[in-house]
Amino acid sequence: MKIIKVGISAFVTIGLIYFLNNSWNFGSPIPPLGKFLDPFHGFWKNAEKANQNDESLAIPGLKEEVAIVYDSVLIPHVYANNDDDLYLAQGYITAKNRLWQMEFQTHAGAGRVSEIVGEAALDFDRGQRRLGMVYAAENSLKSMEADPVAKSMVDSYTKGINAYIQSIDYEDFPIEYKLLGYKPELWTNLKCGLLLKSMAKTLNLGEKDLEMTNALQLFGKETLDLLYPDHEGASDPIVDNTGNWKFKPITLDSVPLALPDELVSLHPREKSSPDIGSNNWAVSGRKTKTGSPILCNDPHLELNLPSIWYVVHLHSPTVNVMGASLPGAPAVISGFNDSIAWGVTNAQRDLVDWYKIKFKDNKKNEYLSDGVWKPTRKVVEKFLFKNGKSFYDTVIYTHHGPVPYDERYHGDDEKNHYAFRWIAHDPSEEILTFYKLNRGKNHDDYQKALDHYASPAQNFVFASVSGDIAMRIQGKYPVRRKEEGKFILDGTKTSTEWKAFIPNDQNVMHKNPGREFVSSANQYPVDVTYPYYVTGTSFEDYRNRRINQRLTEMNNIAPQDLMDLQLDNFNLKAAESLPLFLSYLDTTQLQGSEALAYQKLKSWDYFNGIESEGASYYEAWLRALLPMIWDEMAKEKPALEWPTTYMTFRFIRERPDFIFFDIQGTPEKETAREVIRKSFGEGVAAIEKWKEEKKKEPTWADYKDGYVQHLLRQEAFSYHIQHGGNGSIVNAHSRRNGPSWRMVVSLEKPGIRAWGVYPGGQSGNPGSPYYNNLLPLWAEGKYYSFHFTSTPESMQGSKMATITLTPKK
Amino acid sequence: MKFIYQVIITAAIAFVLQSFLPWWAMAIGAAGVAYYFGNKGLISFFGGFIAIGLLWLATAMFIDVTTHSILTEKINRILPLNSFVLTTLIGGLVGGFAALTGALIKSKA
Repeated sequence: MKIIKVGISAFVTIGLIYFLNNSWNFGSPIPPLGKFLDPFHGFWKNAEKANQNDESLAIPGLKEEVAIVYDSVLIPHVYANNDDDLYLAQGYITAKNRLWQMEFQTHAGAGRVSEIVGEAALDFDRGQRRLGMVYAAENSLKSMEADPVAKSMVDSYTKGINAYIQSIDYEDFPIEYKLLGYKPELWTNLKCGLLLKSMAKTLNLGEKDLEMTNALQLFGKETLDLLYPDHEGASDPIVDNTGNWKFKPITLDSVPLALPDELVSLHPREKSSPDIGSNNWAVSGRKTKTGSPILCNDPHLELNLPSIWYVVHLHSPTVNVMGASLPGAPAVISGFNDSIAWGVTNAQRDLVDWYKIKFKDNKKNEYLSDGVWKPTRKVVEKFLFKNGKSFYDTVIYTHHGPVPYDERYHGDDEKNHYAFRWIAHDPSEEILTFYKLNRGKNHDDYQKALDHYASPAQNFVFASVSGDIAMRIQGKYPVRRKEEGKFILDGTKTSTEWKAFIPNDQNVMHKNPGREFVSSANQYPVDVTYPYYVTGTSFEDYRNRRINQRLTEMNNIAPQDLMDLQLDNFNLKAAESLPLFLSYLDTTQLQGSEALAYQKLKSWDYFNGIESEGASYYEAWLRALLPMIWDEMAKEKPALEWPTTYMTFRFIRERPDFIFFDIQGTPEKETAREVIRKSFGEGVAAIEKWKEEKKKEPTWADYKDGYVQHLLRQEAFSYHIQHGGNGSIVNAHSRRNGPSWRMVVSLEKPGIRAWGVYPGGQSGNPGSPYYNNLLPLWAEGKYYSFHFTSTPESMQGSKMATITLTPKK
Repeated sequence: MKFIYQVIITAAIAFVLQSFLPWWAMAIGAAGVAYYFGNKGLISFFGGFIAIGLLWLATAMFIDVTTHSILTEKINRILPLNSFVLTTLIGGLVGGFAALTGALIKSKA
């Protein structure tokens, strides 16, 4: 009897422990509750006080002692005696604050999210592998490791991350590991490559070759050229050097390409958001109060937590640099040192092509190229699920690149296959660009640093203490014939392939232009006399004009004036369209809510401030108007992309009876006027519905509902924010995207002064006061003034704690 | 009186064990202490339950107060039950069943 009782009781106890020591999924995932709730090791241990303590840690592989001084917002100031120690310490301190994010982002890059969250992520993971993300990272790793400087930099960084990982136990794991019930694995150099390729993917996949091929087939060449001109002519180019491109360009044979004649039935799985872009500019000393140049940068990305950026200050005998780094890559990406400052915006150039492949048969072992059957390379990809099960997928590679879509993945046709040619698949050594920029002294050094940079193509703004300002649109661009790259290309002929690349010294660039400023905001890059054909994903039409107009007007500029410009909420799009739209309404017929909306819009000053209601009404109107006009291009039909809003407004003004204004499915034939009236009604109705649901007035910040989201979409770790701006506005904050980092650098001879802020915080831990402490600062349009010093002692006063790393004997 | 001692000593031993070992080490402690005191089954169960439940609750509350509830509020939105209640309950149940097992091993019948 006793034995049975003991047996039952022991069984229950052990069973309970087993159950509570593992994660489960009963419809929704449950963390290992015993482990998770244990206040000695579980989630409670992730709750942190604001005050940080001094620490000392022995690290294997470190050569000399390194001091890492945290300032009052947890920015690490790293003082090392050599570069290997410097990057090791950067890896260590970044991992200490951002480990989970670093690993999660690179797991996403490698298509390994299913390992963490289960089968729900399989479709995403397969897409990543099929786009050749790992292939791209491996190629980039090979060239990184071939260069001794890049190799030791990446090796040290990896060593530092692993030193941190090996120093922690379950109780120190970031909370996401505890919630999902898994643990960190060791970092590898490949992960640095995966992170950079994920960034390249975010910035390059706005291309629309498939959509343009469909548009050509459905609407014909003439309409296509009207809807999607290569050059909309809206803006000043980034670089205007008209008539002065004095080099001999590479020319290809002038045989015009055959245009494709087909309808592509597949829908690309993922596209970059059109709200991803950036601003940067630099003004010369002639326009500033101090007589020194000022440089500004704000990259617009999806706003997530932990933030994409991590601010660091790195000091060694060869470098003293500060700015935004990407957790997972060594060095500073957008920042400044003692002598220069630089920043980046996306160049928008088309660096993706799709080649139609002819396979010999269903086995896909061979494909045709110039009359010869070439062998394909088949890569078997293994996907592990959280529950231990696995899935295998075969990705077919041609010499162009992988074939992402087929009858087993998002393609519905056994005959049509397209190979994906992407510049980011090529070996490249971007990391050296940042190594050299971080140490740059002048314009020459900046130029030499950029020569290493291939992808994703960026507009690099530059300013120096010695007084130079410059802009260079750097990337590795294929030399293209007219129209080449806009549509799907014939993969059976090598004549359609990328034959040559524009030499670095023939890329678009200028230095100290007469207007005394340089600027870029993703607009069309260059004047029409530039000898190469330029095609892009889509070029921005509004932000850049507002920036250039303001910079032209401004003189005697102080840093605060340029902070104000970064936060400028003027809606140029509305200013150019709303008066015409309103004139189309029949005001005698408006009643109730529509009359009220009319009044709000009529009296609106075109600023998308937090309190503005006009901004909300205008936005609601556009959300109704654009789909009504482009109803011919609805989602369920062959993939098509809407023309830009700028072009749409031009059609409204110049071709009010354009065929696209006719609404499909109504017997009447509508023109621009009817569509505008009808969409006004719909827009107002949408606002009324919103008011009813939310029980408040539609102020812009409430209506927009800015949301900074945790990477796991965990609501408890995410925040709704009140902020002005919108896409196409200089302060480019839309609901989910916006200025992910704002930096202003005044390059004064007695000492550089710099300010910056980003919507998040230095710690990736939701249980830390530094997880979101910069978020309110960012939302209020304020900046943190950086401490940029050259010794740990000079940090006194702004120092919170020191972490001392010592070599482990 | 033996009950009170069981509770105090279980909590003290579990506190030491948990500082070095994984969370379930407290079950071994609770079972050992219950074996030593040899209280009746149900009493032992409650002794273990109260000892570990209170130990976990007190430790959690200490962290919560010193960190101004920075994480507690967020986790409360994720868990189906209040995190203090859940922490006490989970710790208590494991402690209780472990203590019951320890007591039963010693019992005569």
